[in-house]
Amino acid sequence: MLRTIFALAKMHLNEHNIYKSNFYLFSFNRLIEVVVYIFVWQAIYYQTGDAGGFTLSQMITYYILVVSINPIVLWGINEDMGHSIRTGRINKELLNPISYFKYYFGMNLGEIAFAVIVGIAVFVVCAIFWGVTLPVSFLNFIIFLVLILLGIPITFFLQMIAGTVGFYSGSIWGIQILRKAVISIFAGVIAPITLFPAWFQALSNYLPFQELIYTPINIWIGEFDMSQIVFVLIKQVIWIVILYIIAKKFFEHAVKKITINGG
Amino acid sequence: MAIIEVENLVKTYKILQKQDGLIGYFKNLVRPKYKELTAVKGINFNIEEGELVGYIGENGAGKSTTIKMLTGLLTPTSGKIVVNGIVPYEKRIENNKSIGAVFGQKTQLWWDLPVIESFRLIKQMYKLPDGEYRKNLKKFTQILELEELLDKQVKNLSLGQKMRCEIAATFLHNPKIVYLDEPTIGLDVFVKENIRKFIKDINREKKTTVILTTHDLKDIEDVCNRIILLDQGEIIYDGDKQKFKDIYGKYVFAELVVSNKNGKLSDTITLNGCEIVEETEKSIKIKFNHEETTIMQILNTISNHCVVEDIHMREAELEDILKEIYKGAHKC
Ligand SMILES: Nc1ncnc2c1ncn2[C@@H]1O[C@H](COP(=O)(O)OP(=O)(O)O)[C@@H](O)[C@H]1O
Ligand SMILES: [Mg+2]
Repeated sequence: MLRTIFALAKMHLNEHNIYKSNFYLFSFNRLIEVVVYIFVWQAIYYQTGDAGGFTLSQMITYYILVVSINPIVLWGINEDMGHSIRTGRINKELLNPISYFKYYFGMNLGEIAFAVIVGIAVFVVCAIFWGVTLPVSFLNFIIFLVLILLGIPITFFLQMIAGTVGFYSGSIWGIQILRKAVISIFAGVIAPITLFPAWFQALSNYLPFQELIYTPINIWIGEFDMSQIVFVLIKQVIWIVILYIIAKKFFEHAVKKITINGG
Repeated sequence: MAIIEVENLVKTYKILQKQDGLIGYFKNLVRPKYKELTAVKGINFNIEEGELVGYIGENGAGKSTTIKMLTGLLTPTSGKIVVNGIVPYEKRIENNKSIGAVFGQKTQLWWDLPVIESFRLIKQMYKLPDGEYRKNLKKFTQILELEELLDKQVKNLSLGQKMRCEIAATFLHNPKIVYLDEPTIGLDVFVKENIRKFIKDINREKKTTVILTTHDLKDIEDVCNRIILLDQGEIIYDGDKQKFKDIYGKYVFAELVVSNKNGKLSDTITLNGCEIVEETEKSIKIKFNHEETTIMQILNTISNHCVVEDIHMREAELEDILKEIYKGAHKC
């Protein structure tokens, strides 16, 4: 089964590689994004003498990491799933000898592999241009990676949920934007969570999103209270289970709808 | 034991009735109105391993609905289906392992990648042994003439090329049963012939059971040995193809090239056991029953009214027979 999933991942990665320009285009977009964020925070820093509680160089590292990790969290198989539903290709995919979930999980891994390649390229280029602070310790770096890995099933199940909406609405365009917006805000892409009101931060503590980007970066730059790490890890595992159940049940309900009413 | 058993199979679709206007919109939300449409009305059949079955009927007869139920994509409203010992809609993925399916022009091949990569994925997904894969690939490549296509991206293939690859992909994992729902739609005769030959070859070699729906009755004529004829959700014939033609196809078509014709013959003469199908100044198309009359008798009568210069005759084909049946000329 694992080999099938890797085969799917490789196929999906190859799909991206067919268009060599994809890599340069996506990487270039990321770079523009970093530049914009850095200019904004430089301006804020020079005006107010403060960059959201961070030093300016921490803030620059923060955004370089945000933009490098961002694709891993936001990209995925949502569009492919929408396309599969719209064109009726789903009928063929439901006739595969492996479940639709595993099939798309494999493809999603391929997408993530592509995101990681773009992310590393962006990180290296930015590191050369602006300089970044390295992780404060090797342990911190490992925890950083663990949290990023735990984020993969979370973002995958979120995409399956968003994609399944397409069975009911016919289009996933709206839910796609919502998904990206929610993740961007709660994961600390727009601004570090500490800049938001206290109630928002309290809520965010229980949601799985800030551990996708914000928390790992804080662990990288040493601004995270390590006494909380166990709570965070357990929280993520619980969310993986919850989102898995929701995604699975929702998808099964949607498939039942097709198998009763026809595609 | 039959590989496919179908008993009293019924499928009723519920169709949401759209109600007009804003009030209608809210009515729909609160109490949606449904119309029911029974697409398949209690059909029964058994199919044995290795049979080549032509599943035919007019547009909307319920062919695709049946195929979808057999593959487990649709849940029957009532009745029983057992395929290979499995109830497909209850254990779809289990059932998937031993079937293949084509739905019209929809492809399972990966659009942006060379064809061969999709084949390799199929090998991986179905856990097909290396040797078996290579053997099939070689054979399929030869019959379906895929040599030049395997390294091309799917999106760059013509429809005919794509369907040949799709057919190969469908048979690659040695499925016991293959469902082909309009696999030849939109293809030219050469590709069609190629695909028919392929189906026959594989069936002969591997005893693959094939259920084929098509608009081109030549497909059936060439490939199938059994016909199931569906009309408005009910089976009106199920049996041997040749017998079907013997029972319903006793008539012959003839086209007469004529000259010096006076007016419309169909107005002036009556022919026993013969019908004038079409008539112009220079030609008359007739259809007559073997057992009731002969071409000589007909010519005798007609040549009183014009000069017959040439005759072309042909036996009724499946298509002619079906046209008759749909017109209500026969009761099965
Ligand atoms: N998903 C569906 N919802 C409602 N009605 C459907 C659906 N699919 C098919 N039908 C109706 O069921 C009947 C049989 O359709 P189908 O099985 O596609 O016929 P065929 O394949 O023989 O042309 C048609 O009247 C068709 O309009
Ligand atoms: Mg059909």
